[in-house]
Amino acid sequence: MSTVGYAAVAGQIVVVGAGAPLLTGWMRQVRSRLEGRAGAGVLQPWRDIRKLLGKEAITPAGTGPAFRIAPALLVATTVVATALVPLLSTDTPVSGHADLIVVVALIALGTLALALAGLDTGTAFGGMSASREMTVAALVEPTILLAVFALSIPAGTTNLPAIVTGAVEEPARLASPAGLLATAALAVAVLAETGRIPVDNPSTHLELTMIHEAMVLEYAGGDLALVELGAQLRLTLLLGLLSSLFAPWGIATSASWTTLALALVLFAAKVALLGAVLAAAEVFWAKVRLFRVPELLAGSFLLALLAVTSSYFLSGGS
Amino acid sequence: MPHLAAGATSSALLLAAPAVVPLVAAGMYALIGLRASPPVAVVPPARRAVAALPAGEAPVLVAEAPGPEPVVVRHPGAWATLVSPAVILVCGGLLAAAVRYGGALSAYSGLLRADALTAWMLLVVGAVALISCGFAPAYMAGEQAAGRATDQSLWHYHALVQAFLAAMCLAVVTANLGVLWVAVEATTIVTAFLVGHRRTRTSVEAAWKYVVICSAGIALAFLGTVLIYYAARQAGIAEAWALDWPTLVARADRLDPAVTRLGITLIVLGFGAKAGLVPLHAWLPDAHSQAPAPVSALMSGVLLSVAFAAILRYRVIANAALGVDFTRVLLTGIALLTLALAAGLLLAQRDYKRMLAYSSMEHMSLIALGTAIGSPLALSAVLLHIAGHGLAKSVAFCASGRILQLTGTVRIGRVRGLLTRAPAPAGAPAPAGAFGLAVVALLAFPPFSLFASELGIARAGFAAGTGLGWVTAAALLLVLIAFAALAARTARMLLGPAPAEARPTGSETTTVWPLALGLAACAALGMATGPLTDLLHAAAQAIGGH
Amino acid sequence: MSDSLYTQLLDVTCGAFLLAAVIVLWRRELAAIVRVFALQGVALAALAVLLGAHEERWDLIGVGIGIGALRAGALPYLVRRALAALTEDRQGYATGGTETRETQPLVNVAASLLTAALLTLLAYAVSRPLTDLEPTPATRALPVGLAVVLIGFFVLVTRRRALAQVVGFLLLDNGITATAFLATSGVPLIVELGVSFDVLLAVLVLQILTTRMREAFGTTDIDDLRELHD
Repeated sequence: MSTVGYAAVAGQIVVVGAGAPLLTGWMRQVRSRLEGRAGAGVLQPWRDIRKLLGKEAITPAGTGPAFRIAPALLVATTVVATALVPLLSTDTPVSGHADLIVVVALIALGTLALALAGLDTGTAFGGMSASREMTVAALVEPTILLAVFALSIPAGTTNLPAIVTGAVEEPARLASPAGLLATAALAVAVLAETGRIPVDNPSTHLELTMIHEAMVLEYAGGDLALVELGAQLRLTLLLGLLSSLFAPWGIATSASWTTLALALVLFAAKVALLGAVLAAAEVFWAKVRLFRVPELLAGSFLLALLAVTSSYFLSGGS
Repeated sequence: MPHLAAGATSSALLLAAPAVVPLVAAGMYALIGLRASPPVAVVPPARRAVAALPAGEAPVLVAEAPGPEPVVVRHPGAWATLVSPAVILVCGGLLAAAVRYGGALSAYSGLLRADALTAWMLLVVGAVALISCGFAPAYMAGEQAAGRATDQSLWHYHALVQAFLAAMCLAVVTANLGVLWVAVEATTIVTAFLVGHRRTRTSVEAAWKYVVICSAGIALAFLGTVLIYYAARQAGIAEAWALDWPTLVARADRLDPAVTRLGITLIVLGFGAKAGLVPLHAWLPDAHSQAPAPVSALMSGVLLSVAFAAILRYRVIANAALGVDFTRVLLTGIALLTLALAAGLLLAQRDYKRMLAYSSMEHMSLIALGTAIGSPLALSAVLLHIAGHGLAKSVAFCASGRILQLTGTVRIGRVRGLLTRAPAPAGAPAPAGAFGLAVVALLAFPPFSLFASELGIARAGFAAGTGLGWVTAAALLLVLIAFAALAARTARMLLGPAPAEARPTGSETTTVWPLALGLAACAALGMATGPLTDLLHAAAQAIGGH
Repeated sequence: MSDSLYTQLLDVTCGAFLLAAVIVLWRRELAAIVRVFALQGVALAALAVLLGAHEERWDLIGVGIGIGALRAGALPYLVRRALAALTEDRQGYATGGTETRETQPLVNVAASLLTAALLTLLAYAVSRPLTDLEPTPATRALPVGLAVVLIGFFVLVTRRRALAQVVGFLLLDNGITATAFLATSGVPLIVELGVSFDVLLAVLVLQILTTRMREAFGTTDIDDLRELHD
C-alpha cells in the first residue's frame, strides 16, 4: 500500500509541477487559436522559465527579507498543498492530514507572502496592487471555505479525501442544490484566486486594471521564474481541486497501480478540458471593472452560503 | 332561523345579493362606458382621455383642458348608483333580523355565511355607500365643470366604485378565509385607478404607493393564511374545510401553536396594512388625500374596517389556539404606535384631507385597542365605533371634497371663515357646516355615537387590569393631543371672518341630504342603538366577547 | 417515482427557485431581471408538477401548468411590454439607457447580496417550527419559499425603478405560492384561482400606472415620487 501511496503523492507533485506550465501554454494556445493567431506553442512557458532561470535575480535597493523569500514561499506552500489535495488518489500516506482548512490556509499563505513582497518594494504599484489583492482575498478565502464546507456536511468531515471518496460512492450528492451552488461559488472563487478574467487580466500590465501582475513587477531572473511557476501551480492545483470535488470519477480510491495510472490520465484530461473551457470563456468575456469585483465576489460568497444552508437544511435531517 | 321552509334559497339569495348586485352594476357601467367610447374596442386606460373625443376630431391633447363649452349633463346613470347601497342595506337588515340572537345563515356549501358581525358590517357598508354614492353625482358634476373629468371617465368611475362595493361585500359575507383574502386584495386593485383618477403627478404617486404597499402588505396576510391552512391540515381538518372560519374556530385548540403564532402575526401585519395600522400605513394619508372625495369616504369609512373585520375573525382563532395574551400584546403594541404616529403627524398637519386621513388612523388604532382589550363591553364598543367612525368620516370626506371644489386649495392656512362666507358661493355653508359637525362627531362629542364607543373602550380598558389600564391612559393622552390638533385646525377653517376676495365659483347646488342623513344616523346611534342592540351584542359575541 | 429521486428533484427545483431570486438581486438590467423571473416561474411550475406527480394528483399537475403559464408566460410578458413601452420613444436620448437599468439601488449590489445571505439564514431560523410540525422532504424545503419572500420584500424596498419594484412584488408572490405548495401541496383551487387572478390584475394595474408615471414625471424613478409628504 505504502509504495503506491507514496507514488501517488510523488505523482501528484510531479504531474502538477511539470504540467502547470504546460497547462498555461495549452490555455494560451487555445486562446490564440480562437482569436485567429498561430500561438507560441504549448511549451512556451517552459522556455520562458528556462530563459529566466539563466538570468541574474535582481533585488531592488531597500527591500527586505519579505521580498526575497516570497517566491520560494509561494512555490513551497503550493507544492505542499498539492501533495495534500486528493488529485490522483484518496488513499495516500498524507490523506489523514489533508484537511480542508489546512489547504485553504496554505493557499492564503502564498497570497499573503506575495502581497507582503509587493508592499516591501515600496513602489506605488506594488502597494496598490497588494491592497487590491488582499481585498479580493478577503472575500475569496471565506467563499472557498464555505463552498467546500457545504460539501463536507454530507460527508460529516472536513477531510478532503473523505469528501471526495463520499462523492465517488454517492454521486447523488453532487446533483443536489448544495452541490450545484457550491460548484458555482467555487468556480468564481477559483477565477478570482488565480487572477483570471473577469476579476483580473493575467496578460496585461495596464496600471489601472491589474492586480496580480503589479505585485511582481520588481522581480527578475530566477525569482520571476519562481513567481510565474507559483502562479501556474496554483491555477493547476485549484482547477484540479475543482475537478476532484465536482467530477471525482476516476480518482483512485484504493491502492493499485492500474487505478493510479487511469487516474493520472483522467486527471490530465479533466484539467486540460477545464483549462480549455476557461480559455475559451476568457475570449468572450470582458474584465469586470474593479469596483464591480466585490459585487461578483459577494455573489459567489452568497452562493456558497446558500450551498451550506441548503445542504444543512434540505437534506441534513434525512 | 325564522323561515326554514323557504330558508335555503332565500338565505342563499340574501347572502349573494350584496356582492352580486354591485358587481352586475359595475359590469353594466363598464359596458356603457365602453360603448360610449368610439371605435377602439378595448381602451387601455392610459389612452382613454384621447379616445373619449368625438370621432373625426383630431386627437390633440385635451386630456386636461375642458371642451369648448363644459356642458354639465346630469348623468343619466348617476342615480342608479344608489341601487346597490340600497340592496346592501336591505340585505343587511334582513340578515340582521335573522341572526340578531346569534346563529348564522350559510349558503353555497359554506362559502358564504352570515352571522351577526356580517350583518353589522353589511349595514355599515351599505350606509356609508349610500352617503358616498348619494354625494357622488354632485361632486362629479363639479369635477366635470372644472374640466377634471370627462363623460368617459365618469362611467369608469361608477363602474370601479360598484366593483369596489362588490369586493368589500364579498369580503364581509364569505366564511372562507382564502376568499376573504382574495376579496380584500381585489379592493386594492379596483381602488388603484380611483385613487389615481385625476392623473396628476400627485395622484399617480399616491396610486403607486397605494398599490405597492397594500399589495405587499396583503401578500404577507396571504402567507399567514397559507400557514394557518398548513396548521389546519396538520390538525386533521379536510382540505375543503381547512380555511372555513367556523370550522377553524371550533377546532382551533388543535392547531400547532408555533405555526399559528407565525401565521397570526403575518395576518395582523398584512390586514393591518390595509386597515391603516403601523408599520405598513404609509399609503393611507397619500391615497385618502388624492382620491376623489366620495372614494376617500368609502375607503376611510368602510374599507379600513372591512380589513379590520378580517383581523377580528382571525383573533377568535388565535385566542382559541394561543390564549388571549398573544393577540392582546400584538394589537396593543400596534395600536399604541399607530396612535402616537397619528397624533404626532396631526399636530404638524397643514392639509385638511390628510388631516382627516390621520384622524382615520387614530380611530383605527382605538378600534385595535378595543379589540386588544377584548371584553364584551370593549368589543361592542369597537363595533359601534366602526359604525360611528364610518358615518362621520364619510360625511367629513364628502364635505371636504366639496370645500376643495369651492376654495380650490387643500391647505388649512388658506381656508378661512367658511361658515361666515355665506352668500357669496351659494354652496359653501352647507358643506362647511357638515364638515364642522362631522369633525365634532370625530372628536367624540355627544350626542354622536363615537362618544359612547370611546367611553366604552376606555371603561373596558380601565376595568381590564393594571397593565391595560396604563395602556388605555396613554392612549387617552394621545387621543387628547389629536383632539387638540384636529379641533384647532377645524376651528380655523370654519370660524372667523371670511377673506375679502372669496373665490367666485360655479353655482351648482350641493347635495346635502346624504351628509345630513349620515350625521343624523351617527347621532341617533349615539343616543340609542334601538333595534340594533341585539345585533350588536350578538356580533360582539360572535367575535369572542363571551 | 422513487422516493430518493423525488427528493433529489425537489431539492434541485427548490435550489433553482432560490437561485433565480438571488440572480434578480444581482443583475441590473431590467430585461435580464425579467428573464430570470420567467425562469423562476418555470421552476415554480416544475415544483407543482413534481408534487402532483409524487402524490398522483392530476389537479395539482393542472394547477402547476396553469401557474407556469401565468408566472413564466403572462406576467413576464406584461412586464416586458411595459419595459418596451418605456424605451421605445427614448431611443434617441441619452436617458434611454437609464430607464432600463437599475442604476442606483438604495443598497448597492454587493451589500444587497450579503443581505440576501442574512435573509436566507433568517428564513431558516423562522421556519424551524414549520418544518418541525411535519418533517417531510417538501416541508424541509419550506425555508426556500420564505427566503424568496424575504428577498422579494428586500427588492421591493431597495430598488428605485418602478418595474424593478414590480418584479420584487412578483418575487414575493412566487415565494408565497412556493410556500403554499411545499407546506400543503397548494391552497384549495378556488383560492388559487382568485389569487392568480388578483396577481394578474395587480400587475396590469402596476403596468398602467408605470405608463402614467412616465407621462406625469418623465421617468420611472421612484425617488422622484416625493410630492406627497408631511
